[in-house]
Amino acid sequence: MATGSNKSPSTPIPEPSAAKPISDAPTPTITIDLPPPSDSTPAAITTTSASAATSITAPNSIATPTTATAVSTSTSTSNSTARPHPEPLSSDADIIHIPSYSRWFAWNSVHECEVRFVPEFFDGRSPSKNPRVYKYYRNAIIRRFRENPAKKITFTEVRKTIVGDVGSIRRIFDFLEAWGLINYTGSSKPQLKWEEKESKLAAAALQGGDAAGGSGTNVTISKSKLCSNCKGVCSFACFASDKHDMTLCARCYVRGSYRDSSEFKRVEISEEAKTDWTDKETLQLLEAIMHYGDDWKKVAGHVGGRSEKECVTHFVNLPFGEQFDGPPESAELDTALSSQNLSRPTKRMCLSPLTDLSHPIMAQAAFLSTLVGVDVAEVAARAALTALSAIGDGKLKESLKISSGAAKQQESDIASNSDDPNSMEGDLAEARLQLEKEDEELEKAISGIAVQTKEIEDKIVQFEEFDLQMERKRQQLQQLLNLLFVDQFTLSLHKTPAQPKAGESIGEGVKAD
Amino acid sequence: MKSHSAWGTSKSLVKFRIPTSDNLVPIRLDIEIDGQRFRDAFTWNPSDPDSEVVVFAKRTVKDLKLPPAFVTQIAQSIQTQLTEFRSYEGQDMYTGERVVPIKLDLRVNHTLIKDHFLWELNNFESDPEEFARNFCKDMGIEDPEVGPAIAIAIREQLYEIAVQSVTSAKESRISKKGRRAGEFFSASKTGGNAVDLVKLFGNKSSVIRKRKEWDVYEPIVDLLSNEEVDALEAKEERNIR
Repeated sequence: MATGSNKSPSTPIPEPSAAKPISDAPTPTITIDLPPPSDSTPAAITTTSASAATSITAPNSIATPTTATAVSTSTSTSNSTARPHPEPLSSDADIIHIPSYSRWFAWNSVHECEVRFVPEFFDGRSPSKNPRVYKYYRNAIIRRFRENPAKKITFTEVRKTIVGDVGSIRRIFDFLEAWGLINYTGSSKPQLKWEEKESKLAAAALQGGDAAGGSGTNVTISKSKLCSNCKGVCSFACFASDKHDMTLCARCYVRGSYRDSSEFKRVEISEEAKTDWTDKETLQLLEAIMHYGDDWKKVAGHVGGRSEKECVTHFVNLPFGEQFDGPPESAELDTALSSQNLSRPTKRMCLSPLTDLSHPIMAQAAFLSTLVGVDVAEVAARAALTALSAIGDGKLKESLKISSGAAKQQESDIASNSDDPNSMEGDLAEARLQLEKEDEELEKAISGIAVQTKEIEDKIVQFEEFDLQMERKRQQLQQLLNLLFVDQFTLSLHKTPAQPKAGESIGEGVKAD
Repeated sequence: MKSHSAWGTSKSLVKFRIPTSDNLVPIRLDIEIDGQRFRDAFTWNPSDPDSEVVVFAKRTVKDLKLPPAFVTQIAQSIQTQLTEFRSYEGQDMYTGERVVPIKLDLRVNHTLIKDHFLWELNNFESDPEEFARNFCKDMGIEDPEVGPAIAIAIREQLYEIAVQSVTSAKESRISKKGRRAGEFFSASKTGGNAVDLVKLFGNKSSVIRKRKEWDVYEPIVDLLSNEEVDALEAKEERNIR
């Protein structure tokens, strides 16, 4: 290596100042052709780099390169910074891709930003650390990576093969990785998998939601699933692959980067599947709800053996909750609303679980009132009361007549006759009292019914709000997914024009030589 | 403290350091946790901050996918070796024109290396890494891990010799009373390893080795097959236990 200079003289870069503006436009990547390592390599690279070096704007960012990203997150690992650059992933080993902000790289020379980021080699403090040594390390690391560009190289592999002290090697390694000069192509793979898994999750959630909505609580997944990787019980969702005959819990699936992620299907495990609700438990649940209303802790305590969440989910999924269209994740807001609008009158039909079923007349009255509506029920009740009172009077009179007739027939019943008017009056009074009592009870019952219907209406409103929020969050998530998908799509689009471009650049390289 | 000895060498006192161009510490790790063995050797720059130790340990464990219990062990081991090195740092050691024999006898993956050569001790520009690089190139060794292993082996031996010279310097200081005695004492101590150059070259004035010594000084590089590697490993383990 002829040049031992610290700075590369050919690049006309302005003096690095602290306040360097970070350009926002993502510049296209350069595909650097690497013919099999031979003598011509340095020549070809330096010419391309020299020609391209004149237009460097982006790389002189201050800290780790935070180039413009669609989703603006800045981290120091190459994984995230690599995202926005649509680099064509070619399997051709001769083409190495580096991001545009690392265009300055040259085999034979040391660039300014290297001086800045790895100053220990250039400040002359240590006799063993000089630019020559730095170049040796750097080139050795890059060469080693490029032997197998599809595979990410780890620091430990590198430092085992390079003669030198591990601290400096590590710093150089980190620097190169941050700038995408190594481990660059390997980064998109995990994101692809995440993307696929995301879309799979979305699809599966929709499917699962629909299925659940259709069948209510009939999620018939038998037995709890054991993850074949971590041997833990899959509680939330598990991924099953028939091809490999494996079941993974969600954590293992995410952690282990399984390549053929397309073969894994998401299987929803609803918590209710573990233990089905018996009728007794359902009744307890309803009683508890009636007593405690929205206090789910107490409800859970009353039911015994069920967590709050289970109680809530089961309550929502109860038969009269069919109108809720299953768990909220799946339902579109519009359909939910419309279904609930429709459900209002039908809901009232199923009010029966909430009322006291013990008294047959009350049950009948409740049933009738639900059939006709609150107002009508009120009016009917009043009419019934008046009729009853009328009949009651009539009956009293009749009973009076009968009793008086009987009294006349029997002289020995003079005493009773004389008692009769008194008792008759007393009876009258009693009868009236009882009538009034019945009136009151009826009114109470009816008002109770009205109150309960009102409560249910409130609950419906609350659930509607929840649905709305869930839907909003779902849409946000969908938007993010779409953004990711668009990025990946543009990436794959750029794959196809890669081949002809490679041919052109080879021709240029040859001409330059 | 210059002393005149029969060898005509001047023994000067220098602050302790590894007698190579870069003052790096050879570190050797041999940790076993739950039946998992981790052996490694590398060079460390003692001027790196101590925080670097933990970072390195974590990085290694992550790269090699070892259980996390290794992190503390590795860090501790490195630290102890570093502090040991540092304890020698303030002290003096003798240097002089000393040529010491260095023996290489190591096995890296599938390559077995045996070699024996002379190394000049007071050449502070010497570079074991360069030697290792040339060695691999000359012997056509393809395994890239061999080079660093050789360099580290050389470094370790140089380190040991340097440590010895520190202790001998201390001892000679203690017995400074009889100057002659001190001389004699130190000379014989340090001269144990050193090759008497004068004796070698003085009479015959020929730099070429005698034929019978050729075998001793010839480097041997063997490529082992898998079974041999396993057999050797088993033997090593038995020796250790």
